[in-house]
Amino acid sequence: MVTAAGPLDPSSVDLSMDFAGLSLPHPVMVASGCFAYGEPYARFFDLRALAGIATKGISPAPRAGNPVPRIWETAAGMLNSIGLENVGAEVFLREKLPFLADLGVSVWVNFFGEDFDAYVACARALDRGKDRIDVLEMNVSCPNIQKGGIEFGMVPEVAHDLVRACVAVTDIPIVVKLSPNAQDNVAIADAVRSAGAVGVSLINTVTGMAIDVRTRRPRLATTYGGLSGPAIKPIALRIVHQVHRALPDLPICGMGGIRTGEDALEFVLAGARCIQIGTANFAEPTVALRVLDELRRLCAELGIARLADVVGDVRPWPAEPAWKEARV
Amino acid sequence: MLAPEDQPARPSSVAASDAAFFEGRLAERETLSGGYVRLVFAYAEGPDLRAVAPGRFVMVRGPWEEDPTGPRAFSILDAPASDRLEILLKVYGRGTRRLAAMPVGAPVTMTAPLGRGFDPTTADGPRRLLVAGGVGLPPLHLLARRAAAAGLSARIEFFYGGRNADDLVLVEPLCEAGIGVVLATEDGSRGVPGRVTVPLADRLARAARAGEAVEVCACGPEGMLRAVRSLALETGVPTQLCLEANMACGFGACLGCAVPVYGPRPYRYCCTDGPVFDAREVRW
Repeated sequence: MVTAAGPLDPSSVDLSMDFAGLSLPHPVMVASGCFAYGEPYARFFDLRALAGIATKGISPAPRAGNPVPRIWETAAGMLNSIGLENVGAEVFLREKLPFLADLGVSVWVNFFGEDFDAYVACARALDRGKDRIDVLEMNVSCPNIQKGGIEFGMVPEVAHDLVRACVAVTDIPIVVKLSPNAQDNVAIADAVRSAGAVGVSLINTVTGMAIDVRTRRPRLATTYGGLSGPAIKPIALRIVHQVHRALPDLPICGMGGIRTGEDALEFVLAGARCIQIGTANFAEPTVALRVLDELRRLCAELGIARLADVVGDVRPWPAEPAWKEARV
Repeated sequence: MLAPEDQPARPSSVAASDAAFFEGRLAERETLSGGYVRLVFAYAEGPDLRAVAPGRFVMVRGPWEEDPTGPRAFSILDAPASDRLEILLKVYGRGTRRLAAMPVGAPVTMTAPLGRGFDPTTADGPRRLLVAGGVGLPPLHLLARRAAAAGLSARIEFFYGGRNADDLVLVEPLCEAGIGVVLATEDGSRGVPGRVTVPLADRLARAARAGEAVEVCACGPEGMLRAVRSLALETGVPTQLCLEANMACGFGACLGCAVPVYGPRPYRYCCTDGPVFDAREVRW
């Protein structure tokens, strides 16, 4: 039941979004872990077309990553256990950040630590890049490292304390990327909001597993990994919707299996102010351009003149009339 | 075992900068024996791969929506024209099954050329012993035909192994190019009975006795490559292995295709550092 009048000229559609004071020309970003530090994609398209880039997760010191095999494709998705391999905060600031900053897109630096102090140390280290970093996207949800990581995103009080400690050491706004594996996503989102996070990214990968029946070994060396891709989109939409309904003023960046403009619009209707494309970048390095184009055309077709007006505008089904046994 | 300071000197990890993402269509499909299929893709806008280094590869994805999610990596078998590329496929799982079943004319998307291939064969370098097993044939097939086209077929010896006679495909073009081919099958139905590493070991022993300079280029199943690597380490013969790994992107973004290596870092990447690696470097 769309209320606006008929189709519009796609070029007239206003896709701009405000995310916690950050003005985005449109909502299409790319997700952490799926875009490296930007460079591998620069040969495929002009990255300035993106609203923003979330970097590979950065830790205080470099990490070599997990044993192999690290990835396995599953139905409409993939499992990964890369192990948060990254160059570390120092090298990132020195060698990777200048390239991203020069693009002029919104730079979201994803970060994590192996323990509480490492999170704080990483936030403090990255603060030195505050002139060129728009958002610190704090990963409290990666299922791949054995200690730290996952626990922080599972218990509201723990997440709250950690986010508060990081917020205290940096001037860069912090957006917390939450785990779909937590029991109560609304409670976690509320906890990190009250700790000073300006928004949340929903969702990280869903913990999963696959087995090779011939060798009887897990398909991943670490046994479990993170499931991404279209397979997790319904889970992501549900969580975005739940959090938005409970905390309508908390900006949400939505992600999980997005590969079309229609997918992106679903996330906006569920309550996301911007979206990130993840796994689809691997198969189609220019996918963000297509999603943006499809989103613009779809908005025009549906009479959505201003995308920001429909954030969270998913409509409930009307209740059926009360049932009564028929009497003849 | 290789000490860190012995790690072969190679350029640091850089993604191939000449890769393009482009659309094409299946122009030709030839069913070969043993479940192998040769696919030819044509494209209007894409890279001219006629001079591509053997071992470089293409990511191919069919006209699918959500599933299978990713493309599949294939070593480039040939590029007969500036707007065509060929791959050799064997059905292993969901992706290869879908690709093999595509009708001629089906649209595909491709990313190519990716990775770092073998160096060209030279007139004054060591004699090259090429070792191919099963679906590892394409890079060495291309390498051998390139050498032949350059008048260097005498610098090449081709060792090609499979489970049985049906498993050996595209042998005739090699023979026609004047390349000496040693075939081996595990069931003895064609060529030397047993694994391809048996005649290779004999050849390496002969080279050692004669003081002949040789080098090995190999591609095939991991079991075969492990055996070739052992021979390389025992004999000290310079050996390059063309590896494969589960790969989501092919261009250095996903970090899924890590290869365990000796040296200052524990892993390198099959897609951007390889797929061709020095056998001594691989940490197997």
